[in-house]
Amino acid sequence: MNPEPTPFPVELPEVLRAPAMTVGKVTPGSLDDQVLRFPAQGPPLKWYVAIACTSAVATLGMALIGYTFYMGIGAWGNTSPVFWAFDIINFVFWVGIGHAGTLISAILFLLRKRWRNAIARFAEAMTIFAVMCAGIFPLIHVGRPWVAFWLLPYPNQRGLWTNFRSPLLWDVFAVSTYFSVSLMFWYLGLIPDLASLRDRTDSRIRKPIYAILSLGWRGAANHWRHFDKAYILLAGLATGLVLSVHSVVSFDFATSIVPGWHMTIFPPYFVVGAVFAGFAMVLVVLIVVRETMDLKNLITDFHLEVMCKVILGMSCLMGYAYVVEGFTAWYSMNAFLHHTFMNYITGTYGWAGWLTITCNVLLPQLLWFRKCRRSYPWMFLVATAVTVGMWFERFVIIVISLHQDYLPSAWRIYKPTLTDYGILLGSFGIFFTLVLLFARVLPVIATSEMKADLPGAQPRHGAHHE
Amino acid sequence: MNETFAVLGLFDSADALMEAVPKVRALNLGRLEAYTPYPVHGLDRALDQRRSPLAGMVMIMGILGALTALLFQYWISAVDYPIVTGGKAPSSWQAFVPIMFEVMVLFATFTAGLGMLLLLNRLPYFGHPVLQAKAIRGITRDRFALSVEAEETFDPAAARAALEAAGARDIELLPAPARGPWLTADFIQKSLAGIAVACLVSGLVMFAAVKLVPILPPMSHMSDQPRLDPQAESAFFKDGRGMRPPVAGTVARGFMPPGVASEDEAARLVNPLPRTPAVLAHGQAEYRIRCAVCHGALGNGISTLGAAYGAKPANLQAPNFLAYSDGRIYGAIVLGKNAMPSYAADLPEDARWAVVHYVRALQRAQNAKDEDLK
Repeated sequence: MNPEPTPFPVELPEVLRAPAMTVGKVTPGSLDDQVLRFPAQGPPLKWYVAIACTSAVATLGMALIGYTFYMGIGAWGNTSPVFWAFDIINFVFWVGIGHAGTLISAILFLLRKRWRNAIARFAEAMTIFAVMCAGIFPLIHVGRPWVAFWLLPYPNQRGLWTNFRSPLLWDVFAVSTYFSVSLMFWYLGLIPDLASLRDRTDSRIRKPIYAILSLGWRGAANHWRHFDKAYILLAGLATGLVLSVHSVVSFDFATSIVPGWHMTIFPPYFVVGAVFAGFAMVLVVLIVVRETMDLKNLITDFHLEVMCKVILGMSCLMGYAYVVEGFTAWYSMNAFLHHTFMNYITGTYGWAGWLTITCNVLLPQLLWFRKCRRSYPWMFLVATAVTVGMWFERFVIIVISLHQDYLPSAWRIYKPTLTDYGILLGSFGIFFTLVLLFARVLPVIATSEMKADLPGAQPRHGAHHE
Repeated sequence: MNETFAVLGLFDSADALMEAVPKVRALNLGRLEAYTPYPVHGLDRALDQRRSPLAGMVMIMGILGALTALLFQYWISAVDYPIVTGGKAPSSWQAFVPIMFEVMVLFATFTAGLGMLLLLNRLPYFGHPVLQAKAIRGITRDRFALSVEAEETFDPAAARAALEAAGARDIELLPAPARGPWLTADFIQKSLAGIAVACLVSGLVMFAAVKLVPILPPMSHMSDQPRLDPQAESAFFKDGRGMRPPVAGTVARGFMPPGVASEDEAARLVNPLPRTPAVLAHGQAEYRIRCAVCHGALGNGISTLGAAYGAKPANLQAPNFLAYSDGRIYGAIVLGKNAMPSYAADLPEDARWAVVHYVRALQRAQNAKDEDLK
């Protein structure tokens, strides 16, 4: 919706004016020319260099996953009592990364935050790739992934059914639903843009591909009214879903009796952490994208600044969650819980606890300063720190809680193997390979959404008639 | 084929389109449709299009999804496979809520997405005249099209004049499509039938592959282990046998060889076990496992297997068996009798004597005298 001309001839002060979403003159035609030219061009050399690196890392990760299939789970450091380690940490981490995309595309859409339009498409794509990375880990964690379909409740010759009272099964449903819904949401938004791509190109190879993918979209008003309705319904559904998915992931922990896991704050705490980590990742990727693809007039400094503010807000919430968690542990008068929480900051892995607090709570406070919200080095520093910090937060929750629980005779120090590190690295390789492919093959900005929001795009009368 | 489908004109802004719509609509020349690069607010009202019924469809399917998930989980957890976990009642519905929610969202999402595309918008449809028009390049970029589409009576010249008067440019005459949308009821029925046939064929092929071609046993991972199966060969031992014979001159625990060689020798033996309820219960259990299939649960020779094998097992209630000494029954168990093989390998020593006690109890129960009641 474009801002109505003010009825008073008053010049509002800058802070009260609606911020410009684009820099310079952007028309629907120029937007198409700028964004939709990438799929038609050959990528530059630096793209080839980048994808060579990421796909090499991805290949390493997949080779190590193959090695794990061959050797069994013994190839990892997991051992009694730390049966959940890198595999589950990585799963929670990657599912969390995905949440920022859904937050941007769904929740900010419902809240009518116009700045989401420019970044929604990329964030949604990152959601899908992050959930794909996340999906790898529970599958390889089960040990015999070729029978992972046993997780699904289907009538079988063994006469067994799955246990519907287990949060691990809820997880199967939550994550697979999340993936399907994200994919549907992403694809629906892509259809009008794919139609634009179809009508721009004369290539004999790309045109039929775009034609099929865009399903013959012709922009009929009759279609748009259903499309708009579907989009807002999906946004509403995805909003509920995104809050439920990481809550369900947190139930994996919260419904158990392990000290440090059995906490009522876990669901909101996990959701906030997920959005926090995801925004940091989106910020890093968008900085690279706007610089290398020359999209600075569409993904403006304003966009980055707003995202920094979201990260700052989430960081404060994380700090609050840490304090409440610590308080709950202290107030419980439970010796086991006291021990676990002291372990978080003073035990063998105490450094991980301090790293988590530094990266997630202390460093993001830099974003209070406008200078840091406008400078790449500071934004990179904070975003990288948040990514590292959020990974280590899951390490703290999982490994430190597990390695010393109720039975001191069962305590053991956990040591990851090189395979563990390699698979973690490989998941980053898979993620960034997919991001690079996406950036060259599909429109990185939702052009039809942007067009509808450009100044003068909507009729001055009509919408406000009745 | 040569009939006109529509007359279509282009505008350069949403404002121009919105101004033109009421002018052309007033002339009532045919069905009006607009084609725009993005949703234009108020256009649906200007074209008098109904509100989208999608929200109602999504709500119904969402509720249906939640109910499906609830019933599915309830039936599995409380009816078909009621295993108690975590001390919860089999029908603990609270635990079903997360999956109900997820399935609700899944149903609702697919209704919203696919319902919008397939049912309401009738996509995919690659043969629509607008897609073949020159105007489509502008429509998906930055221009706005208004088309007057043919109804029963249609005057293309009047439509062209009306559009021109309303300020449209690049007016085109679109011919009727060679064929209609392929997503018709007939097509859907044929596709569903095709999918059903494909499932059937692939199922049969899978069945044949698994059952008739013995090279692909499915899911044999558990049996494929570095372990010695019974009767299997082993390269580890010199004689190549995986199963080891007992060391010469030794006896395994509980496997004392029977000390009797003939019925007469056995007849002299006396039952060493006391007649206690525990011994009788032991004997009853062993009798039911080993003996009852032939001699019958009451020891009267009416057996469940007799008809199948044409054998005539002994009626232990017959007078000659009532007169047997304990030792002779013991001898029959150990040495076998007529068609009955030796049970020495199946029944350890104390079990044999317990069975003898139980046979005596059966005999007495079936031939009870009045004083037994006292």
